[in-house]
Amino acid sequence: MIAAPEVRTEPNYLNAKEGVLSWLLTTDHKRIGLLYIASITAFFFIGGFFALMMRLELLTPPSDLVSPETYNKLFTMHGIIMVWFFLIPSIPATLGNFILPMMIGAKDLAFPKLNLASWYIFNLGAAVTLYAIIRGGVDTGWTFYTPLSTTYSTGYVVGAALGIFIAGFSSILTGLNFIATVHTMRCPGLTWFRLPLFIWSMYATSLVLVIATPILAITLTMVGVERIFQVGIFDPALGGDPLLFQHMFWFYSHPAVYVMVLPAMAVESELVAAFSRKPIFGYNAVAFSSLGIAIVGFLVWGHHMFVAGQSVYSALVFSILSYLVAVPSAIKVFNWTATLYKGSVSWDTPMLYAIGFIGLFTIGGMTGLFLAALGLDVHVTDTYFVVAHFHYIMVGGAVMAYLGGIHYWWPKISGRLYPEFLAKLSALTVFLGFNLTFFPQFILGYLGMPRRYAAYPPEFQMLHVLSTAGASILGAGYVLPLIYLTWSWRYGPKAPPNPWRATGLEWQTPSPPPVENFEETPVVNYEAYDYEAMKEKLALG
Amino acid sequence: MAEPVIRRKTYALVYIAMLALTLATTLLAFLNMGPFNSVVALVIAVIQAALIAGVFMHALYESALVRIILTGSVLWFLILITLTMTDYLTRSH
Amino acid sequence: MAETIQILPGREALAHRHHFATPEQQRETVMAGMWIFLATEIMMFGGLFMAYAVYRLGHPRAFELGSADMNVVLGSINTALLITSSFTMALAAHAAQEGRLRGLAWLLIATIVIGAVFLGIKFSEYYAHFREHRAPGVWYESKPNEPDPGGVEMFFVLYYIMTGLHAIHMLIGIGIMAVLWLMTLAGRFSRVYHSPVVVSTLYWGFVDIVWMFLFALFYLPGLHQGR
Repeated sequence: MIAAPEVRTEPNYLNAKEGVLSWLLTTDHKRIGLLYIASITAFFFIGGFFALMMRLELLTPPSDLVSPETYNKLFTMHGIIMVWFFLIPSIPATLGNFILPMMIGAKDLAFPKLNLASWYIFNLGAAVTLYAIIRGGVDTGWTFYTPLSTTYSTGYVVGAALGIFIAGFSSILTGLNFIATVHTMRCPGLTWFRLPLFIWSMYATSLVLVIATPILAITLTMVGVERIFQVGIFDPALGGDPLLFQHMFWFYSHPAVYVMVLPAMAVESELVAAFSRKPIFGYNAVAFSSLGIAIVGFLVWGHHMFVAGQSVYSALVFSILSYLVAVPSAIKVFNWTATLYKGSVSWDTPMLYAIGFIGLFTIGGMTGLFLAALGLDVHVTDTYFVVAHFHYIMVGGAVMAYLGGIHYWWPKISGRLYPEFLAKLSALTVFLGFNLTFFPQFILGYLGMPRRYAAYPPEFQMLHVLSTAGASILGAGYVLPLIYLTWSWRYGPKAPPNPWRATGLEWQTPSPPPVENFEETPVVNYEAYDYEAMKEKLALG
Repeated sequence: MAEPVIRRKTYALVYIAMLALTLATTLLAFLNMGPFNSVVALVIAVIQAALIAGVFMHALYESALVRIILTGSVLWFLILITLTMTDYLTRSH
Repeated sequence: MAETIQILPGREALAHRHHFATPEQQRETVMAGMWIFLATEIMMFGGLFMAYAVYRLGHPRAFELGSADMNVVLGSINTALLITSSFTMALAAHAAQEGRLRGLAWLLIATIVIGAVFLGIKFSEYYAHFREHRAPGVWYESKPNEPDPGGVEMFFVLYYIMTGLHAIHMLIGIGIMAVLWLMTLAGRFSRVYHSPVVVSTLYWGFVDIVWMFLFALFYLPGLHQGR
């Protein structure tokens, strides 16, 4: 029999108030972070279910498990849910919400009520989209390309778009809150260049959220207006241009990729420093590369339209600019790797995820260069090569870092330790399963297998079977943490304030933290990740 | 930074200038200046926007952060327009 | 209404939120937050202005033809009205800063009334266009003898979406000012605490700025050809 759970006696944010209402009406950034974790975990598994159905359909060449129409809906809903209801809020709204104010020594975010509102808006948007899915789904792909979405599609386009429109405002509120907080709420002594790199990256993410999301809102509004009133905003018959939709959509959606990967880089910097016990090599370069990615990320959207009919000159400009993104990304990868050099590296679970991230992100990033090359892109556009590329960034990058971050901060969030052996097992399972799922897709794409098809010629079957097998392993790797973290929430051993002996302010307060984060406002008189200056303090902790 | 308080006389001057600019832009629109009609209309609109933002909305008197946010967002709007125009201005058909 | 307005004791302490170290930090944060929000608004309208730019570039003549249907008298009266309301709103912020609650209440009323007149005129224009079948979609009809080079309907599509979104912002603004007026009567504001008024002035100013461009892009292009 399992021993009765220990009673948390010291006052903290979890036991300060009891009851469902104390959670639903909370303005505590830590509790809101947990609310978000609950929401996005649910959506992760819903989106994952759609992916699983697709992979099962693709086991055999003909379209036999589901009809092609159903398959169209499956990949559309997988994309919509994973992009807008999991990846975009994933790290910022959960770990960002929880950790960002603590890292800068603040009692809360600048606008706590807006923070709670953002969670409700997110769930409202999600509910509307789910309703559209239950009523019959959408088949346009997550990109809602015109004129399919405005004229020809028979799915619930307006419902799905409305849900995304609403959820967009939760992104905007989160970004707005983070920017204002980082600017005005830093504790005494915490200058910009003493901030943990997590904050720099999260700040860059917030800039993208705030600048790009409104364009998505207005673009989806235009699609909705065109579809409802039949007025042809993007219809050539009325002098409109379907490509204008793509320009506007990708002005949002390309930077949105950086909304997914910049927070992953934020977590990555913390993990690499904490488990190498060294300051990040080239702090300034890593800090500015975050801003660089956010800025250059806005200049490259046209590489999604190389074969769509934009002018050759424009394609050329976007192709060259796209290469530029590789520079700040590479700076980060090199600097994390250089940090490991002569560090005292320990292989705890978060570090396994962090190392996995570096490898997978590098593959994803390098194949991105293939796609930025005009000539090669014509060959692989809309093939599985593209699918594999962005899954290496989003799943291999963003989800790996999310899981690494969840494990790293779990003792702080829950006040409990997770079972290390199971966690390492899951990290390994995720890494292997991921590669087995998506690496064959690079080959498939290069051989000419187009994306978004339910049926395919028999010679592709071997690679598809490998991919489906990998997806099953990957799925198991994701269910495992759900189980043992839930267990650890109640029964895990109690965590000390600073189990990793890390330097961030969030570790200099009890686990779980008190309601206002710190017993007294901290004062910072040392640089970020300064293990030397912190030696005595860390030895005591 | 302390809260800026702007004299009512300044507000009044800006108000009069705004009305004068509106009259000017309307009257100028009746002249046929070819492509310069749009240029004049837009330049005057930009001046009017700057007056409202600078004085009525205190941007000139607030902290640098406010001006950075304002110029940043205008800059990003220009990025959106400029890069889209690299396509539309160079289409061959 | 004026004599009854009194600052309730204890309000100022309530206005200061516990997670800010000082009221000054709170003010700066609130201003930054509002300006970031306005940045998102700039991008949102920016998307529409870009659509306008692309389509006007494609159909320069059609956009002038469409614009010739605008009522420039009503348009410029509305422009003047909106400028006036921005002025009264700026004065309202000034009154709040000096703690003149009576002036604040009356200036808010003035702003609300002028905003409402603007919307009334705007809707009368919509109605006139609608009767001429200058409403896109199934209602739309080209005029007899109109040399439509293609794109006139697109002009009206953008006209309704952009001025419509602007009108929605005006309605929201009027709602906000009604709340501010009630808060003023309830004695919520003072020389020390009045950031909701100042922040709303920013919002109203932004709505005014958008109109300056809508006026320049929809009402003026058709004037020079002589109707």
